[in-house]
Amino acid sequence: MTAIRPKSIYTVAKKEFLDNIRNKWVILLTIIFVILIIAFSYVAGSQTGGDTLGNMQTTVFGLLGISSLLIPLIAIILGFSTISGEAESGALYVVLAYPVKRIEVLLGKLFGLGAIISVSVFLGFGLGGIVIAATVGTEQFGGYIGFILLTILIGLVYLSLIICISSYCKRRITSIAGGIVLIFWGMIFGTILLAIFYAAGYEFADLVKGNIPDWFFNSAVFSPGDMYQTAVQRAFDVTTIDAAGFSVPIPEFLSMPVLLTAHFIWFIVPLILAYFFFKRRDI
Amino acid sequence: MITKTIMCPKCRNQITIEGNPGERKYITCPNCKTNGVFNFPQQESTAQSEEGPLAVEIKNLTKMYNGQKAVDNLSFSVKKGEVFGFLGPNGAGKTTTIKALLGLIHENAGELRINGHNMKNNYIKAKKELGYLPERANFYDNLNPVQTLNFFCELKGVDKSVVKPLIREVGLEEAQNKKVGNFSKGMRQLLGVAQTMIGNPSIYILDEPMGGLDARWVKTIRDKIKLLNEQGSTVIFSSHILSEVQNICHRVAIINKGRLIALDTVENLNKYLKIKPRLEITIKDLTGKVPEVINNLKGVESASAKDDVLFITCESKIRVKVISALEEAGFEIYNIKTIEPSLEEAFMKLITMEEGGGR
Repeated sequence: MTAIRPKSIYTVAKKEFLDNIRNKWVILLTIIFVILIIAFSYVAGSQTGGDTLGNMQTTVFGLLGISSLLIPLIAIILGFSTISGEAESGALYVVLAYPVKRIEVLLGKLFGLGAIISVSVFLGFGLGGIVIAATVGTEQFGGYIGFILLTILIGLVYLSLIICISSYCKRRITSIAGGIVLIFWGMIFGTILLAIFYAAGYEFADLVKGNIPDWFFNSAVFSPGDMYQTAVQRAFDVTTIDAAGFSVPIPEFLSMPVLLTAHFIWFIVPLILAYFFFKRRDI
Repeated sequence: MITKTIMCPKCRNQITIEGNPGERKYITCPNCKTNGVFNFPQQESTAQSEEGPLAVEIKNLTKMYNGQKAVDNLSFSVKKGEVFGFLGPNGAGKTTTIKALLGLIHENAGELRINGHNMKNNYIKAKKELGYLPERANFYDNLNPVQTLNFFCELKGVDKSVVKPLIREVGLEEAQNKKVGNFSKGMRQLLGVAQTMIGNPSIYILDEPMGGLDARWVKTIRDKIKLLNEQGSTVIFSSHILSEVQNICHRVAIINKGRLIALDTVENLNKYLKIKPRLEITIKDLTGKVPEVINNLKGVESASAKDDVLFITCESKIRVKVISALEEAGFEIYNIKTIEPSLEEAFMKLITMEEGGGR
């Protein structure tokens, strides 16, 4: 058996990228990201009483709720049919009849679709960042760069997850169902977590007062969306979680290295599973 | 002296050359001036010979889905240079066999070889020698034919300069800038055929290449299969259009319920199954009734009539007797037609025998 050949991975990745350039995904996403960042910056600026854009941190924190939903959604739309859909349509029959390995096809698809997310996030939020920097200065520029990189990373995490689902599901429609579960995983997990919180003897009043145990926050590593939001806060050197009426420090456990490792695990484990499913799959 | 039509690998121009068996001939394409070598075979064709190098070997292939055998201990081989028909009713296991051969599905048991390469541990080499057209040729809707074929060239490590000539060859020049998503089924199939020819593979595997196409596309695909074979390629194709298979295949394999039930030339199958030619005699004022004189004639296996046409199955040697008896009985014969046994008849007989539990 020969080793994995980068040339084949590149060929598949290039095809995926060009396919999405032609269907205007990259342009559309870039425009969406630019509009979002400028709009949120303007809202942030208005809230602080000025008639200008908000600074980078205020803008990003305002945007975080939307981006932690939008980026997974984009990754899922891009990747849900990549294996199950192409197997269903027959396109994958032809590709796999060529001298190419399944692992090469899988990695090519991941890199190609990952490049779509990376390029559009980089361009969209990058251009928005330049506008903010030109208007209100480059304060917290490092945090903003961290935000862009973490956004790309969470996009890749969700891409890996949806490719795993697509490799497992026989049909495109079941992949979509899997994607919907992924989108709502944050909520599902949050509800489970709250149930555990109450079962552990805590009450609603504890939540309001900020009397929350560390394990409650630390469990963010089990929810990619929460994990991403915490990592972005860390990137801006924010050390407390501020909610209505209370402010609690982010537990030391949720340091940047731990959060990055958690991102990496969320990326690599689904990818290994995706290969396992795809390799065993009858096309 | 052997005459061969070959295709320039660069510009796809067809070149006719002459040579002796075993001769090594140097050729220059008159169109693009590309130089090449052609080795004339020792024999005119290996296809009809009993012995010969094998392009495809399938040994004891078994594939199960949910506990049901889709392919059951199937074994056969295809010789190099052969056009090989792979037939069977719907659900017989044809596509499953082809998919197993291409490594698209995982067989439960068996051994598969392409040009001697084991598909288990040498499938990259094996697939370099293959061109595959699936039953539903589907590609990427947002790409045009040039981008599609460029992608497949890169996957196979073939120079992309072959793309334009391939598009020209299958007649998709006018559509070369259109997105494949806007293509008709026939156009997709032609793009599929172009895709199979990338890198001039020595073996073509075509799964129902004419399925759902109108007569014009069927003829185009059939001519292409003939041409590919004339250029020395092995062509394996499954089809339900039995007359097409009969016309172009050297040998056929018939499978039913995942098992091989026949493997031979069409002629030998008919001989073996004792399928006789049929006479179609048009007689004035027959009115759909078989004449008494025919019913009493020895050697007539079966006779039926519809309107003015009398259908008789009999031994060749008594055909003259049939005609004479009709004329002597005063019937006015307008037309006589001999229908040679068709593959369809052999196919139906075999399937019926198989399902009836014996021969």
